[in-house]
Amino acid sequence: MTSVDETRHEAREGASGPLLTMEGIRKTFGSVVALDGVDLTVGRSEVHGLLGGNGAGKTTLMNVLYGLYRPDGGSVVLDGSPVEIRDPRDAISHGIGMVHQNFLQVDTYTVTENVVLGTSLPSWPTVDLKEPAARIAELSERFGLTVDPGARVANLSVGLRQRVEILKALYRGAKVLVLDEPTTNLTPQEVDSLFGSLRAIVDEGMSVVFITHKIRETMAVCDALTVMRDGTRVGTVRRADTSAAELATLMVGDDAAVGRVTEVVTAGMGAAAGTAATGETARDLGDVPARVAVRDLVVLGDHGVPATHDVSFEVRRGEIVGIAGVAGNGQVELAEAVAGVRTLEGGSVDVDGQPLAGRPTAVWLESGVAYVPEDRHRDGILPSASIMENLVLGAQRSVRFRKGPFVDWSAARRHAEEAIRTYSVKASGPSAPAAALSGGNMQRVILARAFSHRPGFLILHNPTRGLDIPSTQFVYDRVREAAAEHSAVLLMSEDLDELTHLCDRVLVLYSGRVVGERTRGHYDQYELGHLMAGLEDTA
Amino acid sequence: MTTTATPPTTTTPVKPAARRGAGLTRSVLSYALAVLLAFVVSGIVIAALGHSPVEAFRAILTTSFKSSFGFIETVQKWVPLVLLTLAFTIPLAAGKYNIGGEGQLLVGATAAAAVGITMKDAPMVVLLPLVLLVGVLAGGVYAWIAAWLMDRFGVNEILSTVLLNFVSFGIVDYVASEVWSDPAAGHPTTVPIGDGGLLPLVGTPPMHTGVLLALLVSAATVVVMRRTVPGYELRAVGTNPRAAQVHGVRIGRVAVGSLVVGGALAGFAGAIEVAGVHGKLIEGMQSNYLLLGIIIGLIARGNALAVPFVAFGIAVLEVGASAMQRTADVPSEMVLIVEALTLLFLLFSDVVGARLRRSSR
Repeated sequence: MTSVDETRHEAREGASGPLLTMEGIRKTFGSVVALDGVDLTVGRSEVHGLLGGNGAGKTTLMNVLYGLYRPDGGSVVLDGSPVEIRDPRDAISHGIGMVHQNFLQVDTYTVTENVVLGTSLPSWPTVDLKEPAARIAELSERFGLTVDPGARVANLSVGLRQRVEILKALYRGAKVLVLDEPTTNLTPQEVDSLFGSLRAIVDEGMSVVFITHKIRETMAVCDALTVMRDGTRVGTVRRADTSAAELATLMVGDDAAVGRVTEVVTAGMGAAAGTAATGETARDLGDVPARVAVRDLVVLGDHGVPATHDVSFEVRRGEIVGIAGVAGNGQVELAEAVAGVRTLEGGSVDVDGQPLAGRPTAVWLESGVAYVPEDRHRDGILPSASIMENLVLGAQRSVRFRKGPFVDWSAARRHAEEAIRTYSVKASGPSAPAAALSGGNMQRVILARAFSHRPGFLILHNPTRGLDIPSTQFVYDRVREAAAEHSAVLLMSEDLDELTHLCDRVLVLYSGRVVGERTRGHYDQYELGHLMAGLEDTA
Repeated sequence: MTTTATPPTTTTPVKPAARRGAGLTRSVLSYALAVLLAFVVSGIVIAALGHSPVEAFRAILTTSFKSSFGFIETVQKWVPLVLLTLAFTIPLAAGKYNIGGEGQLLVGATAAAAVGITMKDAPMVVLLPLVLLVGVLAGGVYAWIAAWLMDRFGVNEILSTVLLNFVSFGIVDYVASEVWSDPAAGHPTTVPIGDGGLLPLVGTPPMHTGVLLALLVSAATVVVMRRTVPGYELRAVGTNPRAAQVHGVRIGRVAVGSLVVGGALAGFAGAIEVAGVHGKLIEGMQSNYLLLGIIIGLIARGNALAVPFVAFGIAVLEVGASAMQRTADVPSEMVLIVEALTLLFLLFSDVVGARLRRSSR
C-alpha cells in the first residue's frame, strides 16, 4: 500500500508532466453515446473541476477512470505510464480514489471499521484496529477531516459520512481523489470545510477531480476546470483566466439558449463573495389570505417514530415557500403528509379553508393539491404504461377523462398530445411508454400532470434533481407561472441556491421541526446553513 | 387543439403503430416457435418411449375437430379453463397471486349444488339464476377470506389461497359423502340438483349454454380491463403501487377487489360445471384446472384478450390427451409435458429475444 508520505515523496521527485491524462475516452450504452472521445488532463497538486449539466457525462467519465465502466476506446496515462483499469480494485491499486454521491457504508460499523473494510490488515488474521485507528486519526487531523474514528457510522451526519469516504480513499493511498457532486446535502459551512480539506490534500501533492454542476463552486475551489456537454469536452480553462459568464456559455453551448437558462447556471452566484445576503428584495404579494394552513403537524416515519414535530406554516396565494434542510430531517414525511399521501398523526392541513386531515388521498387531489414527488421512478410514474395513461393517473375519476364507468381514452389522447407539445416532451407520441423517457422528459410529464389538476396547492420535492440545464430552467419557469396563477407553492429542496433563488420565504427543517424562517431580501446562506445544522437561531 | 397539428404530431402516430405491428409479428413468431419446439421435444420423448409420435400428435390435434362431439367436448372444457385463468390473471394485474382457483371453484360448485338440491322443485326461471348467482357469490366470499387476511393482517395471499384449497376439499367431501350423499354412486357424489337448475342445452350434439356465458365474461373482462376506471386503477396498481397510491388510488381496496372478482369467476366456473356438465357435486371435479389456468395465464402473459385463445388451444390438447392414450398408447400425461414445455420455451424466447436486441444495438 502506498502511504500518503510516499505519494508526497514521489510527487516531489516525479516527472513534471501531468498526473493524469485520459485521452479519447469513448463509451456507449446501446445506441446512446455517453462519452464521445473525451480528453481530460489533471495536473499535479491541483483541484480540477469537472463542470457540466446533468447528463453531460461527468460521472460516466469518472466511472471509467475508477473501473466501474469499461470504455469502448481511449487510454489512461497515470504518472507518465499507461495503465489499464479493469475494475475498482485496479483503480485503487493505481492510487485512484472515488467518493460517490451515495455512500456505501456499513451503518453498524465504526468509522475505523468502515475505512479498513476491504483492505488487508497488518494484524491479519486477527483484527487489531489500534494501528489503523491511529493512522485514520492522523489523516483526519492532517487534512482537517475531523471525525471520531471510534464513532458508529449510523450516528454520523451526511457531512461526517462524507469525510469517512474521503478518509477511505486517502487511507488506501489515493493520488487522484475523485469527488462526485460532493456538496449535495452539505450546509454552506460544511462546504467551506470540505473545500479547506481539498486544499490541504492538494498541498500534499495529490490531485482532486471535483465533479459539479455549480459554477460558483468551481470558482471557489478549482485551479483548472474542464467543461463537458453532451458527452464531449467543450473546453479546459484555468480558473484565473475565466469568468462565470464564460463558463455558463460553455456549459449551455448555444448562445441563444444562454439567455433562457442563465438563471439556472448562475443561481446563487451572488453568494460567491460568501458573506452578502442573496436574493433581491421581497416580492410584494399584497395583503392576500393564506390558501394553505398547516398546523401542529405530527407525522410518523416509516418506522413508526414521529418524523415531524408540531410543524406549522401558511402559504399564501401566489407565494412560493421553501423548505430547506439536510436530507433525512423529515422532508419526505412532511411532503407526503401535506400531499395527503401519508396519514397525519396529529395536527391539521387546510386548503382553501377546507380541512383535509383524515380524508382519502383522492379527496386531497380533488381539492387542488398537486404533488411532484422526489423520487420520480418510485412515486411518480407507471413505467410500463404509456404517457397518455400516466397523464390520466390521479384524474381517472374526474369528469375530464370519464364517460360513465369508462375512461375516455380519446379525450386522454387529445390531452396527452397537447401536453407533449406545451411541455416539450421528447417522445414518439402519447403511446410511448413512460419508462423510455429520460429523467428530464419524465419530470415534464409529471409536471404536466400536476398542472393539469389546476393546483391550488403545489408541492414540489427536489423537482430538479438529476435534470439537465434546459429542463431545470423549464421547472423554474413553471413554478413561477404557477405562483403567478395564484397557486400556493411549497418547494422542498436540498439545493439552497434553488431555494433562495425562487422562494419568497424559506423555512428550515431540522429534526422534523421548523427551526427558523427567513424572507426574501434577508437570505444569508451561511445563516441558513447554521440552522440546517441544528444550531440555535441567532437572529 | 384548435390549430392544425404541427409536423411532429402528424408523423408521430405512425411510428408507434408500425412498432406495434412489428411487436405483434415478433410475439406471434415466438409463440409459434415455442409450440413447435415443445412438440418436437415431446415427440422425441414419445419416440424414446417406443411409440409413434406422428400417431400420438394426430390423435391430440384432430380429436377436437374430427367430430362435432369432440368439438363440443372441447368448448365445454374451455369454460372452466378460461374462467380459472381469469381468476388468476385479474388479481395478477394488480400484482396479487390467486393460487386458490380450485378452492373457489369447489366452494362455488358446493353452494350451487346446495341450492339446486334444496330447492329442486323450483321452476327454472327461479332456480337456474339462483344456482349460478350463489356459485359466483360463494367463490367471491371464499376469495375474500384470503383478501381480508391480506389487507387486515398482511397475510401473504399466495399462502392463504393455496391453504384454502385444502379446506375446500374437506367441504366437498363432507357435503358429497355426508349431507346429500348419493350412496349409489360409489364415489363421494351428491344427489342430482333439480331440473330447473340445469343450464339449457343448444344444438346437436347438445352444448350447454354456460359456454355462451363464459364467452360473455371473457369479452366483458377485456372491456373492463382496458376501458373502465376500475380496470385502469387495477393496471396502475400492478405497474407501480406506490405511484398509484400517491395519486389517490386506494391500493388496498383494489387488491382486495381483484381477488374477490377472481374468486367470483372461479365460483362461476364451479356453478357452470354443476349446472351444465355434471348436474351434481362430485369430489375431484376440479380436475387440474388450477394448474392449467396458471399455465394459460402465463402463456397469455396476463393479456385478457389472449386468454380465451390460449385456453382454447390447451382445451384441444386436454381433449386430445385421452384419445392419444387410446390410439397411440401414449400416457395422457404426456400432454402436460407439451403444455409445460410450451411455457418454458416461451419464457426462454423472452431471454433470447432480449439478448438479441441487446447485441444488435
